[in-house]
Amino acid sequence: MTQVEINDLRKSFGPVETLHGVSFEIPEGAFAALVGPSGCGKSTILRLIAGLEEVTSGDIRIGDRVVNDVESKNRDIAMVFQNYALYPHMTVAQNMGFSLRLLKKPKKDIETAVHEAATILGIDGLLDRFPKQLSGGQRQRVAMGRAIVRQPQVFLFDEPLSNLDAKLRVQMRAELKAMHQRLRTTTIYVTHDQIEAMTMADIVVVMRDGHVEQVGRPLELYDRPVNRFVAGFIGSPAMNFVPVTSTAGADAVVLADGQSLDLPQFRALSGAFDLGLRPEHLRHTAEPAGLNVTIESSEQTGSETLIQADLAGQSITALLRERFDCHPGERHRLTVDPVFAQLFDAETGARIDA
Amino acid sequence: MSAKARARRSNFLIDVCLFFICLALLLPLIMLIANGFKTPAEMLVWPPTILPRNPTLENFVTVFTETPLLRWMFNSLAFATLSMIAIVATSALAGYVVAKFPFRSINVIFILFLTTAIIPFEVYMIPLYFQVKALGALNSITGLLIGYLVMSFGIFLIRQNVIASIPDELLEAARIDGAGEFWIFRHIVVPLLRGPLAALAVLAFFQAWTAFAWPIITLTRKTSFTIEVGLANFQSAYTVELSLLSAASAAVMVPSVLAFVLLRRNFVEGIAASGMKE
Repeated sequence: MTQVEINDLRKSFGPVETLHGVSFEIPEGAFAALVGPSGCGKSTILRLIAGLEEVTSGDIRIGDRVVNDVESKNRDIAMVFQNYALYPHMTVAQNMGFSLRLLKKPKKDIETAVHEAATILGIDGLLDRFPKQLSGGQRQRVAMGRAIVRQPQVFLFDEPLSNLDAKLRVQMRAELKAMHQRLRTTTIYVTHDQIEAMTMADIVVVMRDGHVEQVGRPLELYDRPVNRFVAGFIGSPAMNFVPVTSTAGADAVVLADGQSLDLPQFRALSGAFDLGLRPEHLRHTAEPAGLNVTIESSEQTGSETLIQADLAGQSITALLRERFDCHPGERHRLTVDPVFAQLFDAETGARIDA
Repeated sequence: MSAKARARRSNFLIDVCLFFICLALLLPLIMLIANGFKTPAEMLVWPPTILPRNPTLENFVTVFTETPLLRWMFNSLAFATLSMIAIVATSALAGYVVAKFPFRSINVIFILFLTTAIIPFEVYMIPLYFQVKALGALNSITGLLIGYLVMSFGIFLIRQNVIASIPDELLEAARIDGAGEFWIFRHIVVPLLRGPLAALAVLAFFQAWTAFAWPIITLTRKTSFTIEVGLANFQSAYTVELSLLSAASAAVMVPSVLAFVLLRRNFVEGIAASGMKE
């Protein structure tokens, strides 16, 4: 069953339209990530779903009702903000029980609910503290606790981990995911970090400039991006793009410096394209096959080697799952399994199906 | 000379300077209190004495028996307290609204608030007097309060504090949690503004406590005087009863000094906090 449905949603601030007709659906119990570079409109969508901004046109449906004109408090949602938005003059317990207190729930019920949520999040020892006495990670947990206590239909997260340090972010990512698996509440999670989206979400909505570029499962986006933007945004390090030309009937595409790469699946094509190669799909080879590159720099992390190299005038990245000793200026050969190579239309950026 | 000794010497010089500045500030106050205990003859002695040679309580006795000094103090207290409550309430509400609801119409209203600060009270004092007179509110605290219910500086002070210390997300979180607008104001905004509101309360209280021009034109009956008006009454066209005036002033100063000592910390914190963010 669909839990949240966004239909041709538009939002203008004065004369400037920031969302240009966005549509997507999120099934009940799913963890959806809205991801895109800053300014793409993902936070605006979240604020529209929360009812903090007014819809210019289009519909937002939560459960079985259109909520465009429903007040925030009646939408049955809970939101976690990037800066936590904890009430500084209230204790952790008061912060978490705030919404239930407003619903005039009996004191006993509030206490039970707060304790349950605190136990889930491992903050039951902090209930009497004030927000300023907590660390960033603890504050984040309290903010999540405040959302859990309400038992809403939908959780909304607005870049909740951006204020945490790298190590804590990884930890909180796992905790958030575990919490979702336990509660199974439909969750919409806004982030600019594609790793967060890929690791946590069941569904990823990739956005750019107020448009949805692609909606799909994380690996679907990785394996079959609809266009160059999605291909470059999803995956780390980012996909390499090299301009090539293809002639109908030829088995190979030709690079700017005259080198060719066998891609038999594209033999019917003719014209100019961008060849997309993921860094982790490139292999070093000693055979006289593959593509000639000139090493620009290399970084060894022990388990793998990250290489920057020049290929036909383009700087590309290769991630080798081996120790590979090389020096700037050296020439080496890299190969790629043709099934992993992707072609994008040079003009529209759309991915070409083999 | 070592750095330590030099630092000690400059600290000593700073202390000496501060001591004399303190003395200069305190001297009039000490003189005023001392004068209350002097006989009229000693008041006019040159050079003036700091400690009275023959201290007497007669001035105080005369002041308290022949003038309704306590009544005046009560009038002032009632006027200042009510004005303080009104100004704190209006400034908190208006300051919050102009800070967090930035509609064009509200911005215009805020500019109007600020404009009132540059129009001197004396300009509209007389028309206001006729209005109060028409309302039959002369010689009453109601009449006095009419010019002292709203303070544009107070609205500005609270607006700046709200902008600096209350993030939008806090209000949005409360709205999602189900709080109504007034509830948010009462339970989230006001508690977070405690410091600046306390500072404003002190400012508002003393503004009314020391008001002179407006009370002296609206109050004509001796029993409805505020303390400032009452003190001015010791000075007539022909005589100044200096020793009585001193005694009355000394008696009047006690409550205001006491209030400042008690509220000092709030006062300083509130003003300091207005420029800072946690």
